[in-house]
Amino acid sequence: MTVVLKVEDLWKSYKKNEVLRGVTFSVNEGETKVIIGPSGTGKSTLLRCINLLVRPDKGRIFLDGEEITRPGINEARVRSRIGFVFQHFNLFLHLTALENVMLGLTKVKGMPKEKAEEAAKKALLSVGITEDLWHKYPAQLSGGQKQRVAIARAIAMNPRLILFDEPTSALDPELIGEVLKVMEKLAKEGMTMLVVTHEIGFAMKVADEVMFMDGGRIIERGPPQEVILRPKNERTRRFLSRIWELYDLGVRG
Amino acid sequence: MIDDILYIVERYWPLLLEGLKNTIIITAASYSIGVALGLSLALLRSYGPKALAAAVTAYVEAFRGTPMLVQLFIVYYSLPAFGIVLDPLTAAIVAIGLNSGAYQSEYFRGALAAIPRGQWEAALSIGLRKWAAVRYVILPQAWRVALPALTNELIYLLKYSSIAYFVTVPELVFMGKYIGSRTYMYLQVYTVITVIYVTLALTISEGMSRLERRLSVPGVSITGRGQ
Repeated sequence: MTVVLKVEDLWKSYKKNEVLRGVTFSVNEGETKVIIGPSGTGKSTLLRCINLLVRPDKGRIFLDGEEITRPGINEARVRSRIGFVFQHFNLFLHLTALENVMLGLTKVKGMPKEKAEEAAKKALLSVGITEDLWHKYPAQLSGGQKQRVAIARAIAMNPRLILFDEPTSALDPELIGEVLKVMEKLAKEGMTMLVVTHEIGFAMKVADEVMFMDGGRIIERGPPQEVILRPKNERTRRFLSRIWELYDLGVRG
Repeated sequence: MIDDILYIVERYWPLLLEGLKNTIIITAASYSIGVALGLSLALLRSYGPKALAAAVTAYVEAFRGTPMLVQLFIVYYSLPAFGIVLDPLTAAIVAIGLNSGAYQSEYFRGALAAIPRGQWEAALSIGLRKWAAVRYVILPQAWRVALPALTNELIYLLKYSSIAYFVTVPELVFMGKYIGSRTYMYLQVYTVITVIYVTLALTISEGMSRLERRLSVPGVSITGRGQ
């Protein structure tokens, strides 16, 4: 098994607030790992550290065996190899769906326009964004469509790994399914993924491992059947019982 | 009154035309300097090194905090002491351009700051470097946001170009004053000049809103419809 991502004893604090307190884990090629946990426990900060948007105070991160946290690293080059899907989509507002996907191909990878357009269309089709939507601006798309365009933007770059930061949390309930379906398909096709989410149904179905984070640490980890159905830790149990409650009511936050 | 106005236009139209030409030259040239300078200053202040950003702040405060007329006098009367001698028209263009740059940098700075943080993060996350992110993601949105303020500035400059009168540039107001002194029909002359200014301002306004509409993108432009 090839290790794509290795995170080693990661620490980060903002003033007196310790957000990450010694996080260690790794993701193998083709694996999908899911991180769950209450808000404010450092999940987003962790993803931002991996993408070098946030500098950790201590600890090291390796991508394909190369330490990306060392000083002097070419940050842009590292980021071009890691896809990032945001909670609030963050599509480029002045560009159409197609142009959103093309920008990285032409300006980062230096692809000629025709080739980039072809690759972008392929990526869009793979997430179910059909021709009628290619020339629409983000403001003209639904939340689910926006997030699928954002996923296409990430996969078109042909990354080693995609990070998902609560990709369905900003969506209306009836739009969550279409995004999860795309992510599931992506996982099945062998994309390496690290997903922060509250969608335990998705985690059950797709995750190779589920990690429960609280207070800046991973306090429980294992196969989804164990962590989600038979959590050992008291904190995990309490959190999941609340999520199950919502599931039973058919209401999702 | 109407007869007097017609008389002035008929008799003095070459002078009025010359004044109009100079007014347009001063406005267009100083506005162009202002846009280029304002954008550069705003970028430096927003994303440049700290020391440069502080220097830009000092520049902006100096030019916003003193009367434009004083700035014009300094450029025209004081720079020669340092070996820089400018003819009246150039001095007016330089002074008004430097002043406008300070104001426009603030419009651009506000527009840059109005772009959501997520746009930055997304731009960096696909592997764009800082200045590439500015060029391809931040600026195309920011200048659409700044456009209404830039229109405002252009119309301001059209009127402020008249201070060139104080350093003897024969622009519209200068010509008006001159024609008035020859005919003693001040009210009539200034009425003609008012009509010229208003027509120019309306033309600019209409042209800029056409530009805004053409560039408008749903969800980005302030004036864009269907947001």
